[in-house]
Amino acid sequence: MSASVISASSFSTSMLRYGRSRALWLMLLVAPIGARYMLPFEDGGGIKIAVGDALPVMTSPFLGVSLGIIVSTLLLPIAWLYLRSNTTRRQPWQVEEVTAGSRVAIALGRFGADVGVLLGILAALNLAGLYLSTFMLQGDAVNLTELSFALWVVAAPAMIGLAALRILFDTRPLLRSGFGDFAYFCIWIGSITAPIVTDKAEPSFGANMWDFAGFVTPLKYGAPEGTDSFSIGGGFLATGTIDLDVMAGLLSPGYLESRLAWVAIAVALVVVGGLIYVPHKAKKRAVLTGRLGALLNAGRPPRAIPDAPAAKRAFASALNLVTAEFRLIGSGRAFLLLATAVGVIAAVAPDFRHASSPAALLLLLFALSAHAGRAEAHGLVALTKVAALAPMARRAAFVVSGALWATLLALPALLRHPPLETLALASATGASAAFVAIVLSTLTGSSFASRLVLLVLWYGYAST
Amino acid sequence: MASLELRGVGKAYGRKRVLQDISLTFEPGLALLVGPSGAGKSTLLRLIASAERPNSGAILWNGRAGSGALRRTLGYAPQAVDLPEDLTAREFALHIAALKGLSLAQADKQFGAITDAIGLHADINNRIASFSGGMRRRLIFAQALLGEPEVLALDEPTAELDGDTARKLGTLIVERSKNAIVVVTTHLADELAPSARAVLRVENGSVLPAPGMRLEDVA
Repeated sequence: MSASVISASSFSTSMLRYGRSRALWLMLLVAPIGARYMLPFEDGGGIKIAVGDALPVMTSPFLGVSLGIIVSTLLLPIAWLYLRSNTTRRQPWQVEEVTAGSRVAIALGRFGADVGVLLGILAALNLAGLYLSTFMLQGDAVNLTELSFALWVVAAPAMIGLAALRILFDTRPLLRSGFGDFAYFCIWIGSITAPIVTDKAEPSFGANMWDFAGFVTPLKYGAPEGTDSFSIGGGFLATGTIDLDVMAGLLSPGYLESRLAWVAIAVALVVVGGLIYVPHKAKKRAVLTGRLGALLNAGRPPRAIPDAPAAKRAFASALNLVTAEFRLIGSGRAFLLLATAVGVIAAVAPDFRHASSPAALLLLLFALSAHAGRAEAHGLVALTKVAALAPMARRAAFVVSGALWATLLALPALLRHPPLETLALASATGASAAFVAIVLSTLTGSSFASRLVLLVLWYGYAST
Repeated sequence: MASLELRGVGKAYGRKRVLQDISLTFEPGLALLVGPSGAGKSTLLRLIASAERPNSGAILWNGRAGSGALRRTLGYAPQAVDLPEDLTAREFALHIAALKGLSLAQADKQFGAITDAIGLHADINNRIASFSGGMRRRLIFAQALLGEPEVLALDEPTAELDGDTARKLGTLIVERSKNAIVVVTTHLADELAPSARAVLRVENGSVLPAPGMRLEDVA
């Protein structure tokens, strides 16, 4: 079978799977919603972008670059999570790896599908930008071509690069694991901070290659002479406005070439990925031994009593259910170790709202989404729905347990903070997070959507 | 005496009729559902376990319609369950016990006894992710036995098991059938047939008595 047929088949199969992914619709919504809340609005809302301590006058190309910054700061890590944890995460490698099909061809087909999906998300962001431009810009300042050009030149190579990394990270055993996610996180942080290297350099192809995220040159090059600093975020005070010629930055020497070069590098990475592909091994789960193992593993089971009587009905089944949910949210000794660390933060941090509470919620959002996702998996609900207690009772117990965990984690903070306010905030945030987790997991049957939304909400909560 | 009655039950998925006009009454004892793949055995079992509703007819538990009372005393082991890989078998079993409204401490002890009998006890503190297909099958079976279910609906409980383990499960199934209604779908009825009160053949949407049995023998 020719390589092109294999690529086409890999591409179309992956697209078919994406087409049936409900989480994709969520992804298509994340971009426009992110744009609504992160763009720099005149009323002071959103994330500020300042050049030379002044806010750039909003123009169509500047709006496009602003949307590109949303891609780099919000969408890239979320898209990574999506690609790694959703519909195409499982591949029939047991069968695939014993076929004669070219790994490069398969990789290119999957890469094409990933790129198609990511560019679809970018198109949704573009549409949101077009809509927002109609009331963010004066009538004659609306230039849809310049807005779209700026957005795609900045963001598309970054998205394509992300898709390439996903394929590359699927080729090696170590990178397929959680270590791969950690490595990507480091690469992402590195890609955003790397342009510092060429801070004082003249614009050139070489200098622009340090800017994978692609938004530095359009901001810097078009600024008036002598303006060489810029800031992105919400915690600084900008004075006045500044005229920024973003189009000049986009068309500056070496910029467009560097964006095209990143696309070429992405394709090359996929080809390399196909060449260095290492087949999967059916592995036995590693069991930790020694002191660390004793600390993190559940240990030996209690001795069985062969003639143990059948379990009777619980005295208070609702309380029983809350107890069970509470235990399962906090299952695993790693959670308990982290909960202890959060408790220490609560005891020593001077600011409960901005330090202890976000720390507790960050831990809880992973635990809550994990348990909500596993409990609402469609294949498990088929079993649990015929249990004596209705699924809604379990969901209610889950929310109560979320509030209880948040309250428990806040208890050490009572050493420093007023009890009523502290516990009210803790229980309300815990219950809210649990509610969001269980609703989204019920709708989607997994933990992905709830984890994604809770992370975005957490980011908002922690940064305001 | 407890009874589970199917009265003129029919089930269709879209235009495809899977079961039609099934009338049966189960009383305590072992009933085996046999037949070719795709005949509707699992569908019939899901109806019995109230995991699905019939399109026509009614299912009565002790003479009453509605699934609430039945679910308070039901043990159900589907053929495939999306087991939570990151939990240990024991954590999973206690999750199910809580949903059944059982005392967690007592359920923990009972789970220990059941898993001891089917050769799974040494692994109950291990994560399900590390389980083989046969271990998962035994775990699904074990959770169904928690409490004192008066109705046990077991879908291919011995599939993927070696002969020795299958016999251990068979012993427990026969033991339970002395006091409970136990309905088991199976391709291989040979092992359990001698202990069964009825062997029913599901074919072409209907239930027929296996050779040598009358349909009336079920009740």
